[in-house]
Amino acid sequence: MRLEGKYKFDASQERVWEVLTNPRHLEKAIPGCERLQESEPNKYDALLKVGIAAVKGTFTGKFEVADPDPPQQYRLVGEGSGSSGFVKGEATIHLTAANEQTLVDYHGEMQIGGLIAGVGQRMLGGIAKMMLNQFFKRMGNELKSSK
Amino acid sequence: MKPCAFEYLAPGSVPEVMDLLQQYGDQAKILAGGQSLVPIMNFRLARPEVLIDINGLKELAYIREEADELVIGALTRERELELAPLVRLKCPLLPEAISHIGHPTIRNRGTIGGSLAHGDPSAEIPIAIYALDGTIRTLGPDGESAFKPEEFFLTYLTTCLEPSQIVMEVTVPVLPDGTGWSFVELSRRSGDFAIVAVATVLFMDDNGACTEARICMGGVASTPVRAKAAEDILSGQILSDALVAEAGRLAVEATDPESDYHASADYRRAMTEILVRKALRRAWEKTRGGK
Amino acid sequence: MSDREKERWVGKRYKRKEDLRLLVGRGKFVDDIKLPNTKHAAIIRSPYPHAWIKAIDTSEAEKLPGVRGVLTGRDVAEMSSPFAVGVPIPPKYYSCAVDKVRFVGEPVAVVVADTRYIAEDALDLIKVDYELLPVVMDIEEAAEPGSPVLHENIGSNIYSHRVMKYGDPDRAFKEADLVVRGKFHFPKYGSTPIETYAVIASYNPFSEEFVVYNNYQGPFVNHSIVALALGVPENKMRWIVPADIGGGFGTKTGMYPYIALISLAAKKTGMTVKWIEDRREHLLASASGTDRVTYMEAALKKDGAILALKDKAMDNTGGYIRPPEPGCAYRSTGNHTGAYNIANLDREIMVVATNKSLTAPNRGYTCQELYFSVERLVDMAAAALDMDPAEIRFKNFIQADQFPFTTATGGIYDSGNYQKAFQMALDTIDYKKWRAEQLKAREQGRYIGIGMATIVDPSVTNISYVTVALPPELRARSHPKSGSGESVTIKMDPLGKVHVIACTNPQGQGHDTVISQIVADELDIHPEDVTISDIVDTHDRIYTITTGSYSSRFASVGVNAVVDATRKLKQKILQIGAKLLAVDPGEVELKGGKIRVKASPERTIAVKHVAGTAHWNQSALPEGMDAGLFASTLLSMPTSQPPDEQDRVDSSNTYGFCCEAIVLEIDPDTCEIKFHKWASVHDSGVILNPMIVEGQVMGSIAHGLGGSLLEEFAYDENGQCLTASFQDYLCPTAMDVPDIDIGHVQTPSPYTALGSKGAGEASCESVPAALGNAIADALAPLGVTINELPLTPNKIWHLVQEAKAKKEQAGHEA
Repeated sequence: MRLEGKYKFDASQERVWEVLTNPRHLEKAIPGCERLQESEPNKYDALLKVGIAAVKGTFTGKFEVADPDPPQQYRLVGEGSGSSGFVKGEATIHLTAANEQTLVDYHGEMQIGGLIAGVGQRMLGGIAKMMLNQFFKRMGNELKSSK
Repeated sequence: MKPCAFEYLAPGSVPEVMDLLQQYGDQAKILAGGQSLVPIMNFRLARPEVLIDINGLKELAYIREEADELVIGALTRERELELAPLVRLKCPLLPEAISHIGHPTIRNRGTIGGSLAHGDPSAEIPIAIYALDGTIRTLGPDGESAFKPEEFFLTYLTTCLEPSQIVMEVTVPVLPDGTGWSFVELSRRSGDFAIVAVATVLFMDDNGACTEARICMGGVASTPVRAKAAEDILSGQILSDALVAEAGRLAVEATDPESDYHASADYRRAMTEILVRKALRRAWEKTRGGK
Repeated sequence: MSDREKERWVGKRYKRKEDLRLLVGRGKFVDDIKLPNTKHAAIIRSPYPHAWIKAIDTSEAEKLPGVRGVLTGRDVAEMSSPFAVGVPIPPKYYSCAVDKVRFVGEPVAVVVADTRYIAEDALDLIKVDYELLPVVMDIEEAAEPGSPVLHENIGSNIYSHRVMKYGDPDRAFKEADLVVRGKFHFPKYGSTPIETYAVIASYNPFSEEFVVYNNYQGPFVNHSIVALALGVPENKMRWIVPADIGGGFGTKTGMYPYIALISLAAKKTGMTVKWIEDRREHLLASASGTDRVTYMEAALKKDGAILALKDKAMDNTGGYIRPPEPGCAYRSTGNHTGAYNIANLDREIMVVATNKSLTAPNRGYTCQELYFSVERLVDMAAAALDMDPAEIRFKNFIQADQFPFTTATGGIYDSGNYQKAFQMALDTIDYKKWRAEQLKAREQGRYIGIGMATIVDPSVTNISYVTVALPPELRARSHPKSGSGESVTIKMDPLGKVHVIACTNPQGQGHDTVISQIVADELDIHPEDVTISDIVDTHDRIYTITTGSYSSRFASVGVNAVVDATRKLKQKILQIGAKLLAVDPGEVELKGGKIRVKASPERTIAVKHVAGTAHWNQSALPEGMDAGLFASTLLSMPTSQPPDEQDRVDSSNTYGFCCEAIVLEIDPDTCEIKFHKWASVHDSGVILNPMIVEGQVMGSIAHGLGGSLLEEFAYDENGQCLTASFQDYLCPTAMDVPDIDIGHVQTPSPYTALGSKGAGEASCESVPAALGNAIADALAPLGVTINELPLTPNKIWHLVQEAKAKKEQAGHEA
């Protein structure tokens, strides 16, 4: 499925860049992420416990902050798999300064597969979008708390 | 598929349920009708360590009328609500909505509390309760709380219930005589999940003007949603075909549908307008003495 | 004559003998079989459509208490060879993925444990390391060079490719007044039998024999194929299919890889292993019909006569191809021109690989795909010629006095009266009235559509058709194939009671009931008095390579075998009776439990007495006659020949006729469909039991409707299956099937003993075409093109929006 959207942060572009690419903050912002551990520069192993209400799953995966072009653009690439299925995605994240705020717009692709895709396709699109919103909202919190 | 192993507990009283929920937190799930929970357990998408079966708590199943409200226990079966003369008389939107839930065998087991706690954005009971401006009463370790639907439903399959809380009761105002109402649904087959569902209520004054309109839609967002802009153009007005058409158009703006294999977002938006118009026409008919 | 003597049973609505046991829970299905010390299997399946398997770590799973063993692809590759299949370069298809997975749901390993619950717990502990590969889901894309290749040893995604010409199509197209063209997409769907695949396998390491209970539709061809793959002679692999199967529909002809897999799990672990497929597995990875892309052209004269058809058909068998494929492309060779007298054909056939699940014959097998294209094209031709679609069909039908009729492709249509049946359908719906209604409705902005389809339903497959997959030069170098055989034994006990031993593999069609009716008629007894064991047992039954229940063959060759064996038994009875009465056999007849002399009917001897003599006093039997009292037969259909050098073959041996006439209306807002009238007229020869046939007809209509409007095995562009539960794979319910007026014409087949033919698949083949035509007819004013299925409200709405936008744009440009 296609992903795209915009978000506005009350912070400078440098600050936003720092938070959006730093594993300490990524770990807090990625929904369900319990642990993000660097395996190589900009590459991380992840443990995620994601769930909606009763539907919960543990996923092991990888994230990468790829093609960094500070402070304008990078690609966030991720994948995780568990017994309920797998998720793969990548998004190009673009930052632009707008006075004292930063405009972030992203576009990319996400693939959900395995068990959840076969028996839960009805809600996957909406849930994926919701989790993306969660990610950016939490990033906003990270910006506020890391002054 | 077979579910993962779980511990099965069948407490005999509400205080016992509360203790167990406190003890186990999000490791436990409540088993009421099981019509949503058991399939996702069998698919191993849900793996609760503990299942707390509350079907023995008969004191949680009741339907009463109290001071212009219907008071319904959370464990009341959907089928019972569908057929109860009191409900059909005082709040007919609810049985009409319920008749679209799956098939009778499913409704024999499903409960009103379970449907609300499950929070499916296409589900009929949440849509009807929201259109009726009902109140959802919960019980937790800190005591009782009451929520309006707009506070209760947060997003896909997510309500404001904490793991230690359960839905105890639902209250809905009795509909005054002359009130228009309707429930309209579009689905792939009879009994399937709604692609789009619309519940409407039209309160009328003695001069035939609509004093308040409610339009609640499901299947078009992450929770059931009210079409506020559409409701506003009807409130305080004498109804007309033009107004109904406009309301249908405005209702689409309150939606944020997704595409899935069965229906695209475009189709859902187009059907929202059509179903809202159809639902309003039906409700309007009722205010003029139609069936 | 007594009442008993007047009674005939064939043709009566005799109540099914099977039903009582099924209704009170005394059916005998595989899952009812309880063997001591049975363990349970669960299968871990690929979540990816195309990937290398880099590593599988089963160590944690094997340590789980209650786990008895694990079988991986590596084991399977060591313990078996790939399944043989009739294509030039076969893929390496094992019962489990070995180094690569090629569709979502493909088995990757099997766990055997004390319970299915524990086995599934163990699946969670298996770690598989995949390296993902690009995916190809589109049939035409897969056929292009440069697309991701699934089978390295083949080098392309084309499993089978042939061109065949019949008559002189080039000249026909030159002489045509009109050529109509279309491109058609037929979807992938199945039959969802209520009972899923079930296997209980054990292996005796001392005798080196497998014993496997299963619910397969054979033995058919695949018992031999599996024996070959497992490296055992057929007499060391005993398959037993119990008396009851909860529906086959062709889907269960595709289960034999799982029989092989569970057999290997039993061999490796030394346990008796039971595997009951669950519904998710069934929807992901059992068997469906092929999806197909067809380019078809028709050459016509302006009076509507069809001179030639030219088509390119591309079938998708998914990640692998396995027998009886590529039957999907060749099984309908004999009836390719359907009900029409078309002498010239130009055909290109491709069978292609994509990352979708695998296929097997699906009720109707190849004909629904074929007729959707043909019948849509005929309607399009009618529209182009401004002809009534009914009229163009009458124009082209084979005439009633032309039977038996040999088609351009070698099919020998045994009997029929297409005009009579089609007229009956049109009269039943009151065709003229609805055309008038349609005009009125259009003025009101309502969309009423009338759709029809007239098709030939082939039954009892001649196994020779599979060799048409090879061009004549290659065919000449291999062994010819032909035949469609069935075997029945009937015996009479010392007190004169009859028992039938058959291997017709019933899956719920009511074979036992019909056998009882036939035997009762032949021997002048009551059907209640006939007992039957009709199970498949490769040790204890006589059978041949074509034995099984598929392509509706029971009513043809099954019945032929029953009649033949019973008449042989009757002959014996008459001969013994004649000897005991001291007359010639020609002078006696069998009536009401007695042998009597025709010329002096008071001279009789009871059948009981004859039976008693045969068993107790064998020296009194006629010279040269066997002891005891039984008769056996194993016969084949008379017209089962191999293909000739021009690729002509009688691919089936009886051909029925079926037509639908449907009146529907499409809601202009929601694009939902409402039915006004539906007539379905069938000619399946002589009807043996009208009640059973009605059930079959209703079932095939529901199946056809399902595939046209509701069912689909859907995949996203990344190869993920979206329809792995009944939430999303939508079967029609009682609420979705409208009232149908069913009619019958009975033109007896000259090739079957009682004139009967198959009846169970016809509407599966005609309904998708008829519904496509009806919807196209309804939306004709909007200029909507209908060339695909399923036609869901969402799909129809989008087609209407596109058509409206096109018209608007054309209007702007005008």
